[in-house]
Amino acid sequence: MKSRIRLFTLLVAVALLIGGLMVVTGGASAGVALKGKVAVILDVGGRGDLSFNDMGFKGTDEAAADFGLQMDAIQSASDADYLPNTRNAAVSGQYDLILGVGFLLTDAFNTVAQEFPDQKFAIIDSVVPQPNVMSIVFAENEGSALVGALSAMVAAYYGYPKVGVVLGIEIPVLYHFEAGYRFGIDWGNKKYEQITGTNPNIGLLWTYTGTFSDIAKGYAASQAMLAQGAGLIYNVAGPLGIGDLQAVTEAVRAQGREAGPPFMIGVDANQDWMGDGHRVLASMMKRVDRGCYKAVADVVYGTFQGGIVSLRLINRGIAISRYQDLLDFIQFGINAGAITEADKPKIISNWLEMRSKIPYWIWDAVSELEMKIVSGEIVVPTANTIEEMQAIRAQYPLP
Amino acid sequence: MKGLGLISRLLPLGESLLAGLVGLAVGAIIMLIYGFNPIEAYFALFRGSFGSLYSLSEALANATPLILTALTFAIGLRGGLFNIGAEGQVYVGALAAIAMSLFKLPSGLHLVLTLIVAMLAGALWSLPAAILKLTRGVHEVISTIMFNWVAHFLAYYLIANILVDPRRAEKTISILPSARFPILVPKTSLSYGLLVSLFWVGLALFLLWYTTIGFEVRAMGFNPAACRYAGIKRWRTALFAFLVGGLTAGAAGGVHVMGRPPSYAIFSGLGGLLNLGFDGLGVAMIGRNHPIGIVLAAIFFGGLMAGGRLMQISPGVPLELIRVVEGVIIVALAVPELIRIFRLFREKITIWRRG
Amino acid sequence: MTFLDHFFGILFISLHAMVPITLAATGEVLGETAGLFNIGLEGIILLSALTGALGAEAGGWLIGLLVGIGTGLAIGLLFGLISTYWKGDQLIVGVGINLLALGFVAFELIILGAPGFHAVPREVQVPNINTPIRKDLSPLIFLTLALPFLTYYLLSRTQLGLKLKAVGENPAAADVAGIRVNLLRLLAAACGASLAGLGGAFISVDWIGSVTKEISAGRGFIALATVVFSGLNPLMVLLGGFIFGFFESLATWVSTFPGIKEVVPWQVVSMTPYIVTLLVVAGAIGRVRFPAALGKPYIRE
Repeated sequence: MKSRIRLFTLLVAVALLIGGLMVVTGGASAGVALKGKVAVILDVGGRGDLSFNDMGFKGTDEAAADFGLQMDAIQSASDADYLPNTRNAAVSGQYDLILGVGFLLTDAFNTVAQEFPDQKFAIIDSVVPQPNVMSIVFAENEGSALVGALSAMVAAYYGYPKVGVVLGIEIPVLYHFEAGYRFGIDWGNKKYEQITGTNPNIGLLWTYTGTFSDIAKGYAASQAMLAQGAGLIYNVAGPLGIGDLQAVTEAVRAQGREAGPPFMIGVDANQDWMGDGHRVLASMMKRVDRGCYKAVADVVYGTFQGGIVSLRLINRGIAISRYQDLLDFIQFGINAGAITEADKPKIISNWLEMRSKIPYWIWDAVSELEMKIVSGEIVVPTANTIEEMQAIRAQYPLP
Repeated sequence: MKGLGLISRLLPLGESLLAGLVGLAVGAIIMLIYGFNPIEAYFALFRGSFGSLYSLSEALANATPLILTALTFAIGLRGGLFNIGAEGQVYVGALAAIAMSLFKLPSGLHLVLTLIVAMLAGALWSLPAAILKLTRGVHEVISTIMFNWVAHFLAYYLIANILVDPRRAEKTISILPSARFPILVPKTSLSYGLLVSLFWVGLALFLLWYTTIGFEVRAMGFNPAACRYAGIKRWRTALFAFLVGGLTAGAAGGVHVMGRPPSYAIFSGLGGLLNLGFDGLGVAMIGRNHPIGIVLAAIFFGGLMAGGRLMQISPGVPLELIRVVEGVIIVALAVPELIRIFRLFREKITIWRRG
Repeated sequence: MTFLDHFFGILFISLHAMVPITLAATGEVLGETAGLFNIGLEGIILLSALTGALGAEAGGWLIGLLVGIGTGLAIGLLFGLISTYWKGDQLIVGVGINLLALGFVAFELIILGAPGFHAVPREVQVPNINTPIRKDLSPLIFLTLALPFLTYYLLSRTQLGLKLKAVGENPAAADVAGIRVNLLRLLAAACGASLAGLGGAFISVDWIGSVTKEISAGRGFIALATVVFSGLNPLMVLLGGFIFGFFESLATWVSTFPGIKEVVPWQVVSMTPYIVTLLVVAGAIGRVRFPAALGKPYIRE
């Protein structure tokens, strides 16, 4: 008993000693003087998702480097943090631009933008109708239609009855994805029938996991979908793709192979390099980075103004991943520490082999859809409210 | 003799302070290990918690629901019950408050009714645990843990289905303006909901120390065997502790959604509500289960949270460290030997100094 | 796809889902038999999922699992020490452990670069073993199936088991009989917590292959429910662990299955284990009997 107390006493003494030392050594670190400051406020998803948030971070970081600005990233741990974090940034008065990455920040930005009318704000994925807020939105439905058509035809080609989509928190932005994906699958089914003579009737498995951070939920949902016959899983939940891919990889390996099918479809960034380059068939790229870059650049050039900036297929704010994107984003993966330089050649050759196994007429069909969307011949439906989404679900039930 | 009485009264305060110091010291050690400057961090923490009217308001806003959930636990423990059901009762209270905004009512009436319904919902959710305890002898820790999780998934269901905002599926409908607590300090999160917490502090003081039932509850917590002998009914005190605890926890949930800008709603992941109950337990521990102590402890905790936000911007220490500090404080407070060990340590120092 | 295919699909996922629950619950049975009630299981699972992942990345999956066990052991020792020799309140320590783990894991994940989650490279995850039925079963499943039997044997057929029951049931009498009450309790709690640690490491190093700040997802509390359900019988723990693991898998299944997801809310499936536990304690408390001195520190008079 006595000796134990002595041990504990010793521990406390050490703790206090360290505390004392820190008083002696403590000093303020001086920052390098830069031309200005940008605050990036992230929602609960946060950095490291290899998709949405990292893209926002990447764009702002590049802009900050190009224009010689300092960037402060502010992470939110829960929904309760949005308002205080935004307000803290505005109260400090030191930021030329406060940039919100994510729809969930809408209410906070709407409130704080009114309280600080002279502060410039920009928000990704949401429309905040204040004169000092630049609202940057994307036509995710257009890109999702492309990967939807691709998924349906590839699933049919490999003999799978279903495709799946794992979504995050049920926000209006994600309805754009679901609506476009449904339309695309339906279009792909019909196209497949046109070419081969049989309608594969590829069905859709879908779930909103309610999280943008719990990879385990993505894993579990994908695992359940794969067991129900899904040939492709579309990741619409940022980091959950890591879990989706884990489930896809296990399913692939259970068949004694390394390359898909089944495949994952990446989101936001180009995620084709994940899974050694041959388990992610394609990515629906949403260039959040370009949106963020534009907001910062506009502030620097003095051309910043509130209002809606819409990025879509036609201005390449939305795109389906191609070879050049793979090359660009392998570096993104290396920077994130997910892969190394040495993996690069293998990823590229795997990717080329994977894509070449898909018949050319499927790619032609996807290009055709892309052309028709860009030209305006096809208008991809979208949804912003539950009712609109339900109407689209009723129109494209995809059993 | 008189001096001794004062010391024994102040002893709990000393224990809390000591545990608080241990928590902050462990936090500092972790910061040092990870290469942060603790002085800078704690300075930012202080500036962000009590450095300005804005900071102080944010600290008080965070303290508002914690005072109430701390009362839940404290009243239970005063009556010899380890009631950790506040977490679930907060969810239920908040859901009930939201549900009240399905109706349109005149301004003042709507607010009062919403608060009452939230409190009653909390009390209702605490009732089964009380009944299980009294009729089946089920330990309240088991039953309240289970009811917390049932409430958790019930909330998920109601948020996604019944109470969902048709335009914004990630959250429930917002509390109507007629049922919101007005903001107390402009451009902060602090609302008049704080008064509800302070009202309950006064009421708890009165109930526990100036009524017969309050005396019985405290006596039961102090010495159940003597109470049985004296004819104090177990079911009366237990039911009182559970129900009053449920009322305050329900109020915490209600006040949080009615008085917390900007959304006045519950998000699908339960965002701001998560851990309000368990944080309240920590507050009650630090406040030594006394209403006045709880107010001070809640402001301390609320300040840590508010300041933590500033700390993560300037020295870049993640906000989560605050919860580590909190956990260490609670573990430290669980050790009754702590003071004794500390005293021993001081004696050693004296001996060492004398050489 | 036939009904049977789906059934086996869920069953297969359940085999993995039951592992952390059963391991933690078996450990908790050891501790509770000796009179220590540790509600910090959730925190132990969460923390050891993180340390296990880091250990695996440093030295392979075996190191990862061992680090997980070590983390559980360390917390178990702290918990045991406070609740025996230092006469602290077990319940409060447990709550403290949960909060501490919650904060520390989220903190560490931010330090590691990605707030909210951390992926464990495939190369350092536990290799699956080939069985005639499935190619991708974790070896830990078999350990989990065996452990409750071993624990049952330990508790009911050995001298040590009798001593453990004695210190849980009547510590004063055990003390008089010359059993070192506090030491035995401390060891039981530490061994129990190390099993929860193994369960946590299993989640990150083997099953899901990642750590998130929510990775424990209530499994520690489900384990507590399992212990209550079992009435401290390790064999019933195995059954309970499987049933509750099944519900976990079923909830995901239901949330992705068209036609069923509209009818059966997954939330209802998720809350079922807790309701079942409540029903068990409400209806059959006469059958489920816990040690008389459970939750109370032993103070020699």
